[in-house]
Parts: sequence; C-alpha cells; structure tokens
Amino acid sequence: MNAATSLPASARAPAAAPAYAYEARNVTKKFGANVVIEDLSIGFEPDMLHSILGPNGAGKTTLFNLLTRDLPVSAGEILLQDERVTHLKPHQIARRGVGRSYQISSVYLELSFLENVWLAAYRAAHGTRVGWWRKAETYAALRETSSRLLHELGLGQYEHTPAAAVSYGDQRLLEIAVTLATRPRILLLDEPTAGLSQRETERVKAFINMIKPRYTIIMIEHKMNVVMEISDRIHVMNRGALIAAGTADEIGRNQAVHAAYFGL
Amino acid sequence: MKRTASTYLMSGIAAVIAVAAPFCMPINIATEILIYGIFALATYLLVSVAGLYSFGQAAFFGVGGYVAGYVFIHTDLPLWAGMVLAALGSGAVALLVGAMSIKRTGIYFMMLTFAFNQMIYYLAYSWHGVTGGEDGLGGIRRPDLAIPGVGTLDLSSHQNFYIFAAVLFVAIFAGLYQLMHSPLGLVLNAARQNARRTASLGYSVHRAQLIAFVVAGAASGVAGALFAMLYRIMPIDAISWTNSGTAVFMVIIGGMSSIFGPVIGAALFIWLQGFFSLIWARWPLLFGLFIILVVLFLKGGAIELFDRARRLLRPRAPHRSAP
Amino acid sequence: MTSLLAAQLLNGLAIGMIYALTAFGLSIIKGLLNVPNFAHGAFYALGAYVCYGALQSGVPFALALAIAFAVPALAGALVEKLGVARLMRGPYLYQLLFLFGTALVLEQLIIIIWGTMGLSAPAPEWLQGAFDLGFTYLPRYLVFNGAMAALTIAVVWLLIERTRLGSQIRAGIDKREMAQCLGIDVSRLVTAGFALGAGLAGLSGGLVLPLLGANATMGSEMLSIAFVVLVIGGLGSLYGALAAGVLVGVIQSVSSVFVPSASTVLIYVAMVLTLMVRPQGLFGER
Repeated sequence: MNAATSLPASARAPAAAPAYAYEARNVTKKFGANVVIEDLSIGFEPDMLHSILGPNGAGKTTLFNLLTRDLPVSAGEILLQDERVTHLKPHQIARRGVGRSYQISSVYLELSFLENVWLAAYRAAHGTRVGWWRKAETYAALRETSSRLLHELGLGQYEHTPAAAVSYGDQRLLEIAVTLATRPRILLLDEPTAGLSQRETERVKAFINMIKPRYTIIMIEHKMNVVMEISDRIHVMNRGALIAAGTADEIGRNQAVHAAYFGL
Repeated sequence: MKRTASTYLMSGIAAVIAVAAPFCMPINIATEILIYGIFALATYLLVSVAGLYSFGQAAFFGVGGYVAGYVFIHTDLPLWAGMVLAALGSGAVALLVGAMSIKRTGIYFMMLTFAFNQMIYYLAYSWHGVTGGEDGLGGIRRPDLAIPGVGTLDLSSHQNFYIFAAVLFVAIFAGLYQLMHSPLGLVLNAARQNARRTASLGYSVHRAQLIAFVVAGAASGVAGALFAMLYRIMPIDAISWTNSGTAVFMVIIGGMSSIFGPVIGAALFIWLQGFFSLIWARWPLLFGLFIILVVLFLKGGAIELFDRARRLLRPRAPHRSAP
Repeated sequence: MTSLLAAQLLNGLAIGMIYALTAFGLSIIKGLLNVPNFAHGAFYALGAYVCYGALQSGVPFALALAIAFAVPALAGALVEKLGVARLMRGPYLYQLLFLFGTALVLEQLIIIIWGTMGLSAPAPEWLQGAFDLGFTYLPRYLVFNGAMAALTIAVVWLLIERTRLGSQIRAGIDKREMAQCLGIDVSRLVTAGFALGAGLAGLSGGLVLPLLGANATMGSEMLSIAFVVLVIGGLGSLYGALAAGVLVGVIQSVSSVFVPSASTVLIYVAMVLTLMVRPQGLFGER
C-alpha cells in the first residue's frame, strides 16, 4: 500500500505560512457607551517593521492592548499566526512568542539591569515552571545570556545598577532589552522613543534598525523621522479606524492622512 | 545578579539569636518570640516580598493551633503527625481563601482576607464541640519528641520545648530565605512592583502569589501549633482580627527591608505586650497608640533606626568609580 | 411559622437598612481615599455608645441621634486630618495600620468608659408599639428606622449628585490631581468626605441601639459585615452597597429562623458565592 496516498490531504502538502503574523478582524472596543475602535480589520505581515501612526485618541494603544489581551474585545477576533487568541490572557500571549514594551516605562525600578533582563530570560528558558528552591543567582547560564544581551545593547556598564538610578533614555533601552530577552518572534513596541531627547531617540532608532532582521515588529510611534526612515509598512489610524496603509512614500502622498493630521 | 548573603550565613545568625535569647530573658518569653517570629516571617513574605497586604493571617495561625490542639487532646498521634496536620490544615484553608481572594487586587484583597478571617473566627466561635468556642481549646498535651537513633525528648520541660521551637524557627527561616531569593521570590518581587509587566513577560502572577499565600498560611499554622502547645490552650483571641493586625504591625515595626525585620518586630511586640499588660488591663489601647505613633514617625521600623545609626557610626565606603 | 418568617423578614429589612447606611459611608470613604477604613466599625460603635450616653442624660431621642452622627463625624475628621492625610504620600499600608490602631484605641476607650457589658436603650415612647398587619406585627420603631435610614441616604445622594460640593467630591474621587489643578481644595474635601462617612456609621450605631443594643464587639462585627456588603454590592459601585446591605440583612434574619446559630456565617457564604459566580459584585463592572 502506498503510504503517501493513505495520508489525509492536510498532512501531505506543507502548511502555507500565515499571511499575517498578527491580525485583528472586525474588532470593536467600547468603554461603556464610548466606542474607541469600530469594526477594525488590520493585518501585519511577518518579518517586517510595521508602524502604526495616527493622531492622539486614534485608538493605537487600545489596539495594542487588544492584541496583547490586556483588554478584552467587545466584538471581533484576534489572530496570532492564524490561531484564534481572542480569549486568552496576557501571560498566555506572551508565552506564544509575543513581546511587548510599554509607552510608560515599566522596568522594575528596584531591580538591577541584570535582574530585569534575567527575569525575562528565565521565563523564556524555563517556560511555565518557576523554581522555588534554588537561588536565582545560581543560574549561571542565564546570568551569562542576560549579561551578554546587555553588553550587545551597549548597556553593559549598568549591569548591577538599579533601573531607578539611570536616565529615562537608558530605562527605555532596558525596556526593549527586557522584551528581547523573552525571545519573542513578534515585538510590539508602544512609543519606544516617547519622552526622549533627539540624541536618545537616534540611539533607540539605530538599535531598532539593528535588530529589525530578526523579528516581526509592530511599533506605535509619533516621531515622523523615525517612522519614515525604518518602517517597511505604515498603517495610519484615525478615530478608531484604519484610513491608510502602505510604504513611507505612499503614505506621504496620501490625502486622507493629510486630512487626519492637518484637518484639511 | 546581586550576590545575596548565603543562606547558611543568614540561618547561622538566626541560630545564634535563637541560642542566645533564653539567656537574656525568661525562657517562655523567648519561646513566644520565636513563635511570633515564625508568624511574622510568613506575613513578611506576603506583605513585603509579594506586596500582598493580607489582614487575615490570624485565621491560619488559628487553624494550625486548633488542629494541633485537637490532635493532641483527642488522639494519640505522635508529635510530628500533629505538626504536619496543622501545617496541612492551615495550608489547605489558605489555598481556599487565596484562590478566592488573590484574583482581586489591592483593596479588595485586604477586605477579603479580613472578611474571611472573621468568618473563620465565627466558625471557631460557634463550633463548641471541636474548638471550645469562646473558652478556647484547653488541656493540650505536649507529646514527646522522638528523635530516631537518639531517644525521646520530653517536651514538658520549658528548655526542651524551647529547643524544639528553635529548631523549627531556624528551619523555617532558612526555607523562607531561600524561597525569597529563588526565581519564585524574584517573580513575586517583580509582580509587587508591576503586576501587568510581569504577566506580559509570560508569568502567571496569580499562581505565584497563590503559592506564596499557601506557604505563608502553612508556616503561620506551624506557629499556631507551637503556640497551642506552649500555653497548652488555644484561645479564641488568637484567631481574631487583632492578631492579624499584630502580624502586619510586627513586619512594619521591624522594618520591611530585611528578613531580620519580622524577627525583631516579633521581639519588640512581645516585650511591648508584656510591658503594657503589666501597666494596664486595657493594654490594647496602649498598643493601638503605639501603632499610631510608629506609623506616623518611624516608617522604616527598627531596621531604619539601625541603618541610620550605622551610617552615623561608620565612615563612608570608598566609591568604585574614579573621582 | 409564616408570622415568624414575616416578622424576621421585617427585622431583616430593618437591619439591612443599617448595614446599607454603614456600608454607604464606608463606600464614600473608600472612594475618596482608596483605602478601606479599618476604623469604620469603631465609628459605628462610638455612635451607638454616645447615643446611649446622651439618652442616659435625658437628651431627647432625635437629638441623641444627631449626636450619634456628629461625634463620630468629628472623630473622623480628626483622624483624617491628623493621621491619614499625613500618610498620603507613602504606601497605603501605613494608612491601613494607622486606621487599625485607631480602631483599637477607640474600641478600648469605649470599654473603659462604658464597660464590657452589653447595653441597650428602649425606643422613645412615640416610637413604641406596633402596627397590626394581620399576619404579623410591625413595630413602629422598625418603620422609623427604615424611614430614617432611607431619608439620610436620600439626602446624601442629593448632596453628592446635585450640589456643587457633591460634584467636587466626585471629582476628588475620580481624579484627585485634576481636581487640585482646578483649584479644588482636595484635602479639605477628603476630610469632609471622611467625616461624612464616619458620621453615617455613627448614625447607624445610634439607630441600632433600640434594635440590638450595644456591646464591645459590635464594631469589628460591623466592620467585616460592611466589607462583605461592599464585596457583594461591587466595589466600584457607590450605590451597590445599598442594595447589598438590605440583601445581607434579610439573609441573616430570615436564615436565623431555620439555622439560628449559623445565620452570621451565611453572610460570608453569600460573599463566597458572589465571588465565585460574579466576582465583580452585583453592581460592579469588570
């Protein structure tokens, strides 16, 4: 008997790669009577850097929170690599390879840089198990990996410095480092350069550009120069809806975008 | 990672304290300090490390005491069996209470732990047959401690009971210290600072907190069992809300930044209680006033006092970076 | 049996109004401070005892009730000003312990002044007697109790929802810094709100005096019941506490017909059930 013909069709052909790494389908989000996002469908292709642009109140961070399940949807579906994840909890999304950084710095201020990164690296290495017997400092391999990551990002000198003791710009970089240490496949960066000076912004931008090839990145950003220079694809939102999507050139020429930003 | 002090060293210090104590004070006071020290250490894990402000720990202290008391009055089970049952009983109750309370954060959690404490208090109050109700559970014996290979230790002598309590104290101290510096401890610490961030890293914050809650409950139960054996009676007051507040107070007055804080806090509390109760039958009023004063004027507790004194006495250590 | 049940139902409604009023006060304080008031039970007890003291001195009942409101309100204002406000900046654990210590002190003061024996005071003459409803008797005092509680709640509601002071209090609850930027003296508001909440607890204590009397443990009993009421009603809902309070009172009273020794425990069972089935409370939001 020919073994190949007895297999079901889905097992014979290789599975097609999902068109979108992350997708929101017909998603609506209401806070009471206030509709923030209505019937929004948006998809993010893998291995690209996507930027989400839009004026304040457009619903960008709300969309992020829906993607990472920090907020429940009022209607619609969220798909991660074609898997329906609409009703999962945030930590379950994280375990599926999604890393997220926050708009407001959320590094652990009382812990050192190394400890911050270590926490993320531990979870990536050990999955759901959390050891309660061995002391954390005895995990030598994890210490090494974390230390190396910090050095790679130019943060090596702060290994033992508590996060509260450094500048805000360095904290933002630490935040990205922590997100990277969870070994995600998809990065969600919520305004990574918010509150940074020109020079610090350049540093973060260069850094994101450097790590770009390794991840699918979805980024909310307000700074035009950052967005235009490093994005592969730009999605523009306004008032909870998607009004344009395309390359930097296309968006630059788009009338609807101009109207949204400058009210023309 | 910060090189934290070795568990052997820290436990060694705890052991030294435990050995020295009976020479500085009446031995039963020292025993009571160790007992409340265990209770305070458990509360410290929750309040200081995990940021879970539990105002109902007395419930688990009480359950442990009642279980051990009941076992040692109505059965012939050996010492270790009673202790294990006490820890299991209080741990199980902690699991139930925790499962319902931990999903709610902050204020809700505090109110729930308080309310559950009251509920368990009422249960103890009305279940005369088992707990003795308002009169407490009296006539608790102290079974002999059977040490395999060596013999039995008669615990009816104060000294021997103290040794038993001291061994348990050092063991629990070491265990909790190790736990606090394990990955679980770090996750609890992180969740205290930012629970949302910790979840977004992939950790189940609720599970970690529930584990801590159960461990603290079981340890409190062991303390309760020792308490019941020390006085040979388990009073209903030990399971009331005032005892829960006492536990939190011991953690604060000792200082929340070091594991020795709760131990110091327990010592301070026992001395204070002894001192105040000599002055006045209404000593809880003095205790309440004392809490108010400490909270208003000495937030870092005794540890802060020590820190300040240390900094005054010691010259500043040289910095690593070049001037 | 039905007459006993009906009588207990009426009792339950009466005590439920007391619970509702007390929990309402707790809810206001919790909204303003974002800290559970661990001294709330003590204010309740204080109200009952000063009411008793006033009545013993020959003060007419209505005035005694006013005193039952005023004294705890004043105590609340002092406690807030001298303690809670000063601890605002630190972690709220200190505020909690402060309130806890205050509760201890108040409780002990009550014992010192009035002793540990339970006390009771009869209702004033114009409120004695009962209406004959046929299937049961409705004591006049229960009607007064319910009406008084309802009236107070209505007045406070009007104050909060319809006056400028009230809207400022609501602003202070929702967005403290913003309110400060608008020039609202939030700290004075908080003191006023705290005093109001404490006063409501005290008034409840005064009202309960002819119903259940006063005793040394009434404070801590009421504190945990008030917490339970807030949990069942839903923490975010200011008015959920009202419905939940009445519900809890009815549960406690009616169940005492069937399982007298466990009627208080049933309140906690109700709390557990609420937590399992609808954790945000009956009127709370997710």
